[in-house]
Amino acid sequence: MPIRPQRVVTLAPNLTEIVYAVGAGDLLVGNTTFCDYPAEARRVAKVGDTLQPNIERIIALRPEVILVSTASQLETFTKQLDERGIGVFVTDPHDLEGVFKSIRTVGALLGHEDEAATLVNKLRARAAAVEEAVLPRPVVTVFYQVSPQPLWTAGRKSWITDLIRRAGGRSVTAEVEGEWMRYSDEAALASRPEAIIMATGGEKMEVAPALQKSPATQKGRIYGINGDYLSRPGPRLVDGLEQMARALHPEVF
Amino acid sequence: MLEAHDISVKYDERVAVAGVSLSARPGEVTAVIGPNGAGKSTLMRALNGSLSLAGGEILLDGKPLRSFARRVVGRRVAVVAQEAELRFPVTVTEFVLGGRYAWSSVGAWGWETERDVAVAREVLRETELEEFGARLMSELSGGERQRAVLARALATEAGILLLDEPTANLDLAHQTALLRLVRARCDGKEAAAVVVTHDINLAAEFADRVMLLKSGRAAAVGQPREVLTPEILREVFEIRVLVDAHPVTGAPRITPVHEARRQF
Amino acid sequence: MKTMTIDEGAGMSRGARSTLRRTVFVCLALGAALLLFILAASVIGAERLPAASSLCALFTGGGASCGLTPEQGAILFDIRLPRILLAASVGASLACAGAGYQALLRNPLAEPYLLGISNGAAVGTMVALVFFGAGEEGSEWVRPVMAFAGALASTFLVYRLARGRTGASPEKLILAGVIVTTFLSSAIVFITTLMDATRIRAFTFWLLGDLSGASSKLLAVAIVAAVIGTIVLALNARSLNLLMLGERDAFDLGVEVGRVRLTVFLAASLLVGSSVAAAGSVGYVGLVVPHLVRLSLGGDNRTVVPAAALAGALFVVVADTAARTVIAPRELPVGAITALIGAPLFVLLLRRG
Repeated sequence: MPIRPQRVVTLAPNLTEIVYAVGAGDLLVGNTTFCDYPAEARRVAKVGDTLQPNIERIIALRPEVILVSTASQLETFTKQLDERGIGVFVTDPHDLEGVFKSIRTVGALLGHEDEAATLVNKLRARAAAVEEAVLPRPVVTVFYQVSPQPLWTAGRKSWITDLIRRAGGRSVTAEVEGEWMRYSDEAALASRPEAIIMATGGEKMEVAPALQKSPATQKGRIYGINGDYLSRPGPRLVDGLEQMARALHPEVF
Repeated sequence: MLEAHDISVKYDERVAVAGVSLSARPGEVTAVIGPNGAGKSTLMRALNGSLSLAGGEILLDGKPLRSFARRVVGRRVAVVAQEAELRFPVTVTEFVLGGRYAWSSVGAWGWETERDVAVAREVLRETELEEFGARLMSELSGGERQRAVLARALATEAGILLLDEPTANLDLAHQTALLRLVRARCDGKEAAAVVVTHDINLAAEFADRVMLLKSGRAAAVGQPREVLTPEILREVFEIRVLVDAHPVTGAPRITPVHEARRQF
Repeated sequence: MKTMTIDEGAGMSRGARSTLRRTVFVCLALGAALLLFILAASVIGAERLPAASSLCALFTGGGASCGLTPEQGAILFDIRLPRILLAASVGASLACAGAGYQALLRNPLAEPYLLGISNGAAVGTMVALVFFGAGEEGSEWVRPVMAFAGALASTFLVYRLARGRTGASPEKLILAGVIVTTFLSSAIVFITTLMDATRIRAFTFWLLGDLSGASSKLLAVAIVAAVIGTIVLALNARSLNLLMLGERDAFDLGVEVGRVRLTVFLAASLLVGSSVAAAGSVGYVGLVVPHLVRLSLGGDNRTVVPAAALAGALFVVVADTAARTVIAPRELPVGAITALIGAPLFVLLLRRG
């Protein structure tokens, strides 16, 4: 891994956000079409999307480091990248603490340790404030709906589960092995969630048919939270946490 | 009665049958003979209505064949052809009962009646296949299969039989037996038969009339005695033959004269 | 007229009336088994329901009087039962369509999934969803209609590609199926790129066959199509028996080949289209079930078609019960289970040639 790389490519929007958040945005020479935040990120050269990055364009950008969210993204090109001395840095957080760690590591890698530390402290304080506020409140059971049909949800290894816990809730699928999974319709209904949370991109919210008779639907406790906050394990995950806590415990905010 | 008037069949631009007239009259066996590629099988398929004609017309009882529903034609005209390769297991009885299809009523989900079963049993007996009813078609020898195909054609109770080389896989005894059966149908039940064969002697013996086909045209039509002459056969088959009378039946007997032998 | 007695010795043991009697018997037995399995499947699931109360609720049509909680009632009637019914109609449709394609194409290996016909229906469904907004209220009907059109178009394509002079040879047919399948797969990939990321994940699952949560309208369409398609194929079964021996033979014996072929194509495409629209591509059902039925009951389509419909329903009900319970509360795609059973059998069939 080169010390203090000057040319960086990111292959996931959360990593792009981290790079900007630690003040290293000027080092970014390439990112993906999914990377739309902050606004400057849109103007960086695009190397395809997260699912199918284009190796030729990546190499043409002569990066020293590529930040990826899963190793499989560039697995087939390991040899080509090694030959050119391009380092690949994988960060794949599963909870908020993991996100903080990613921020600090990226900061250290790009020579922005101090900014990263300051950022993490701020984020940690905001998260702590949320947790403190909801602490006296009774825990709300939550079903996190990734897609309504077929029904997908988040499991034990997803940061969503951690976020729900911190927001004063308990994911009914918290103990299910895995990160994202196809989930049984009837098990979802039988878990009697008091609230349903889903990520939205501004479109109409669609509750899974199986959950129509759940307590959450009957009480109208369906919450859509900006998908960019929930699906990108970066600094804005804390925004997601705050919105989630507000949804679950409106009385304390 | 099935009549072909001046029919022609074309495959793309190639003329396979050109201006042939033929009628299958009750009580008559008509043999069609001719060299390979003369258009015999094409003629048979045309007679059955399978091919569209480039010219002429085919009449069933004086009305155009095409104006009849297939089901009606299936009850009147039966075909024995080279059977297609079987890819599914089917018993001999099931196979022969296929000949009763045209008699089935649409409303009854196509189940065979007692009469269908009786007819099938009768034709199995006639074709000496009664022991084979429960066997699979694929288990039969070539000759046994050929008889099953004939049995299916007979099961249709059609008055007009079109047989395309029905004796090809049969031994001598079964060849004779099969043609006797066809002959008997024509004599007794006023059925008509058109038989394509390569065996000129069998044709001479069993047919009332013979048509010689060459390059899609009828080279000669008439009683065996009239048309199975050395001159006509030489013209059609381009070989020398010896024609004499069969010592027992008196029918014309044709023996090829092998040119190669003359050197001995 | 003489009275016929049908007995082994006379070589008519597989004669007509015994076939009819046996078909009725087999269908009654399979129907009873299907009912039994549907009942059994309704008390098995990711969520434990009290068996006695569930059965009581199923027979009385209400949960509360039998001691089920409202949730348990909803699980039984809104989630589990519709899914089981969908499994049954999808299984019946695919098995029946398989039997139809096999007879028509004269090929025991013909199968909606392997021939790319399921893919055709899937492309139709996706086009309906992406371009015609078939997910929206009021336009759900576009989905099965487009699936039907897709199935029909791909059936026609495979048939034209594979047809030789004496009907499609096994090799040519499978080859045509591979070509159509891969072509349509790339069409599917192309359309998925037009979808957003979370929908893609759901879709990949659906493509492998997913019986959960089809809307009541799609379920109704699937059931009605299964019944109509099966009846139409059964009514043409005797013609199919002859077509199975060759189109020329069938024509000679009085079959209106063109009309029967069109009818069977339409009915089979209706069956495949309606099940794919509701449940995605559940593979191998159309291969495994008719084959086993033919193996145990002979090749007469008047028996094979109705028996395959019932056995197919049974097969998918069992497979889906496994799909929703083996790793509960997570789920497997039912298509993965049917393929797990079907693919080895397919290899076996190919080897036996």
